[in-house]
Amino acid sequence: MTADAATFEVSCTGTTQTGAGTLQREQTLNRFLAEVEKRALRIAVISVRDRDEALDLVQNAMIKLAQKYSDRGIDEWTPLFYRILQNGVRDWHRRQAVRNRIMVWTGRAGKDDETNDLVAAAPDPAGRTPDEQLQNIEAMQSLEVSLTELPARQREAFMLRTFEGLDVRGTAIAMGCSEGSVKTHYFRAVHALREALGEHWQ
Amino acid sequence: MTKADDRIDKTEDELFVQQAKAVFEQSVDGLDGQARSRLNKSRQMALAELDSGAVSLGRWMHWAPAAGVAAVAVAAVVLWNGNPQLNAGIESIEPAMSGDLELLMAEESFDMLQDLEFYSWVEIDAEIDVDTGEDADVG
Repeated sequence: MTADAATFEVSCTGTTQTGAGTLQREQTLNRFLAEVEKRALRIAVISVRDRDEALDLVQNAMIKLAQKYSDRGIDEWTPLFYRILQNGVRDWHRRQAVRNRIMVWTGRAGKDDETNDLVAAAPDPAGRTPDEQLQNIEAMQSLEVSLTELPARQREAFMLRTFEGLDVRGTAIAMGCSEGSVKTHYFRAVHALREALGEHWQ
Repeated sequence: MTKADDRIDKTEDELFVQQAKAVFEQSVDGLDGQARSRLNKSRQMALAELDSGAVSLGRWMHWAPAAGVAAVAVAAVVLWNGNPQLNAGIESIEPAMSGDLELLMAEESFDMLQDLEFYSWVEIDAEIDVDTGEDADVG
């Protein structure tokens, strides 16, 4: 084999491996996002009380994860994804606070305060009876109301630990705080929610 | 609080958390088609971003020959303007330079660019020969 032929072969092999690697990474990321996206949307909806805004936030989190962290280990993706999402939620609240101040100042407050319907009236994809569906909607609405009354950090800790199932370490990464803080926020959130929802919730 | 009370409280906390998780999961399962469709679109956009790294490299490679030609053109202009001897006797050298330009603009110009130093040395050497008359076929 000539030197040129050898070079060509090495070059071709490298190209194939890179292509296969990219495809595999794309498939893995696709599976990850498909797995996490629906829960992320519900968490975002609870956080901002607006489904369109929540959809935008989830989309931004997906894109940023793909752009910046797709080369990280798969086990890091969940906390990183939620960190991006939580940062987006916080930025959104800051922007809303500024916007509301301007609205109050210009006398236009209250015009955009409507929140979207959280569950569409379309047939239930989970195949539940209307009674079951209604019971769940009411239970979820009560939970959402109680969650929105919690301090933001307690709400974040509870949703990440309970809804997403992150462990203390993962939640700390997602929230950008210490593991001790996560434990404290979570403990307080559980007790506040239990107290707010009462013994006969659900 | 006694240890027994603490244990009961922990169990009740766990039960509450399980209930909350179940209610949440049911609400996730009940997401409507519109939201699912939008999520799917968002996911595809994110995956396209993943591709864009490779695509942008591909695009760069696609434009590389054009960039090479542009670089050669710039190098030619610099050579043309930067040589006072060329500027002085511009009329006599013009045909030769246009030939050089043609050569530089040719597809194989990359090799020539790499050996630019060598070619400029050859040129200077030839000029010295002309000045000293070594290469003159007079006589």
